[in-house]
Amino acid sequence: MNQNKNAIFKAKVIPYLYLLPTSLVLIIFIYYPALKTFVLAFYRSNFILGTRKFIGLENFKNLFTGALAPGFIQTCFQTLAFAFFVVILGLSISMLLAVLTSEKIKGAKYYRLLLIWPFALSPAVASTVFSFLFNPEVGLVNTILQAVFNIKPGWLTNPYLAFFVAVFAAVWKNLGYNIVFYIAAFQNISKDPLEAAEIDGASRFSKFIHIIFPLLSPTSFFLLFTNITYSLFDSFAIIDVLTKGGPMGQPPFMDNVGMTTTLMYKIFLDGFGGSSNMGFAAAETFILMIIVMIITMFQFGIVGKKVNYDV
Amino acid sequence: MKKIVIALLMLSLSFTAIFAQGSSETTKSTVQENTPIEITFWHIFGDARGQWIEDRVQEFNNMQDKYHVTQENKGSYRDTLQASLLAYRQGSAPTLVHIAEAGSQVAYDSGIFKPISEIGAFDTSDYIEPVLNYYTINGKVNSIPFNSSSPVLYINTDMLVQAGYDRDWTPNTFSDVIESLEKAQAAGITDAKYTDGIHAWFFEELVAEQGGYMYNNGNGRDSRATEALLGGEAGLRVAQFYKDLSDKGLLAWTGKVEDWGGSDNIFTNEKAMYHMTSTGDINVISEGAKGKFDLNVGMLPIASGTKRNGTVIGGGSIWLTKGHTQEEMEGARDFILYMTNTDNMVSWHKLSGYYPVRKSSVEKLDSEGWFGSDSLQTVAFNQLLDTIPNKATAGALGGTVYDHRTYIEEALVKIINGEDVETAMNEAIVLTNAKIKEYNANF
Repeated sequence: MNQNKNAIFKAKVIPYLYLLPTSLVLIIFIYYPALKTFVLAFYRSNFILGTRKFIGLENFKNLFTGALAPGFIQTCFQTLAFAFFVVILGLSISMLLAVLTSEKIKGAKYYRLLLIWPFALSPAVASTVFSFLFNPEVGLVNTILQAVFNIKPGWLTNPYLAFFVAVFAAVWKNLGYNIVFYIAAFQNISKDPLEAAEIDGASRFSKFIHIIFPLLSPTSFFLLFTNITYSLFDSFAIIDVLTKGGPMGQPPFMDNVGMTTTLMYKIFLDGFGGSSNMGFAAAETFILMIIVMIITMFQFGIVGKKVNYDV
Repeated sequence: MKKIVIALLMLSLSFTAIFAQGSSETTKSTVQENTPIEITFWHIFGDARGQWIEDRVQEFNNMQDKYHVTQENKGSYRDTLQASLLAYRQGSAPTLVHIAEAGSQVAYDSGIFKPISEIGAFDTSDYIEPVLNYYTINGKVNSIPFNSSSPVLYINTDMLVQAGYDRDWTPNTFSDVIESLEKAQAAGITDAKYTDGIHAWFFEELVAEQGGYMYNNGNGRDSRATEALLGGEAGLRVAQFYKDLSDKGLLAWTGKVEDWGGSDNIFTNEKAMYHMTSTGDINVISEGAKGKFDLNVGMLPIASGTKRNGTVIGGGSIWLTKGHTQEEMEGARDFILYMTNTDNMVSWHKLSGYYPVRKSSVEKLDSEGWFGSDSLQTVAFNQLLDTIPNKATAGALGGTVYDHRTYIEEALVKIINGEDVETAMNEAIVLTNAKIKEYNANF
């Protein structure tokens, strides 16, 4: 097998030459900055002052001990919770919707189009829409709730509600992307096992659980990865526009930073906001890298083995 | 072998394509005799205020031919400062940069700016004292004040009248605010609340009104601040004000801190009786209130039993970067002095609501009858002109102003959600101190 592959390229250098453009892009835009960030984490460096002084592990020490530590630890916890809910809700809702819209119903085509729509919006626009909807005082949601039930929940003022509004906004924003993949995957799966199950008298529910769900697992696996990345890195704009990382949670554990501050948002705030402590932000970035690495390893090691590529 | 050659050729071709644009630029530099000296000015205004700046630039360019000024909007204050720093490090800094009041210390410490008073004397006596005070660092006028504002209290007087007050009554103290809101609530106006954007700038102003300091070492003005005070007792009184409002259900806010637009919306949609925000918003709010309710403007409320000390100037000033010829710097200074001259500050004020920072401009506006008996602007002016010049009203200087603002806002949110005032404020002090320690370790 290996020999066969090598036979395609007679000279040994050729494959590396073909890899060169991609490698160059990766090195210049990914590996080199990542390495620089790693190095920066060991320096006291202020973006505005342009200072740079080697301080060893002090930035890391400040992450886990001292006045700034509780905020960082709470942020890590929130980031994982945020990612968990965005991924679980995002995947299950979109899988369900994709399967439902694949039914042969009149107008389903337009309905599918509307479902994909949110993906075309920029995150800034999507979260502006949400902030208008959920504004506690003048938002549409509360105007209706107050008229009908005479209640006025503090959607963006209550820390727990705000967290779920942010999750909901992030899920909604990415729904279109997930649905496109699920619809494509669903249309590609072989209809034979479904027909066989129908003949055997399987219910819709058991057809979904035993046939559709496993057959969609390669797509789910791929989407799991993109959604984790999305929730960790791309939720920035949603949080920035919707809550700016707030509101503060409640004692004893959640009152150190705003409940919707994710690690990505905190890195931005520490590095470019406030007094622009780049070294500290670099140390946080390093921790985020480790978190992503652990999740990825877990994903390929455990979840990856359960993926069904057979049909 | 042939394939390798082809591949290498392709590669070199793609490299030429990538760098082609870069090399073509280096060839087009033609120097002419008598070309005017280029002066660039980076600022934060993109709307009608940006157009106003462009108009002044055109006028200045037409007036003389020694200098040629170009202006550019670089986004927010932070974006503008960051862009200037990066440009400076690459050797292409703009001559003039628009910097926020809170960014004064970091901009000063960045070392890329030169105090504007160092390039030859100019008359500063015409500037309103509290304004000039803020921008005087280590005894030198550091930058030229441009857009200056301070917060005032906007009042929905329709609600006030329904609560049984005179239409022109304004609250003087925190307790006046709360009492009048309670009376309005008792009269059945459930929307009678207080709102603001939950911005630590308001907190700082209310502290300065009581003469409190945000930092040690004379509010950071005697020497570099090493410890956060965040107003001390005065700060606690301000925080208590928010707690009282919240406990009594008299506070309306959007849930987002630093939410200028959101709190304006609450007020102009008649969901609040009082609204604290910048004098710079006077036109926006008057527009929003038109046809809905009668608007009045009052001075900031102060803590009961304290003496009114005055407000700190907020807004931006124009800084000069280092590394230019004396001629260019003089030209830059002259342009800024032209842009902020008496007549221009009058039109700037009419357009934007920002204070005209010159005494002569105020006089001119006065003689034009701008401050009629019912003018909303009058209160704002009196509040500024009555300010007692001292280190509290000069404003805090510190590299961590943006940090402490974040921590104060977080503390206020915690207090609104029921946390103890002293605990929350102490945490803010501890966190700010941690940031100060980190910041000061850079020197």
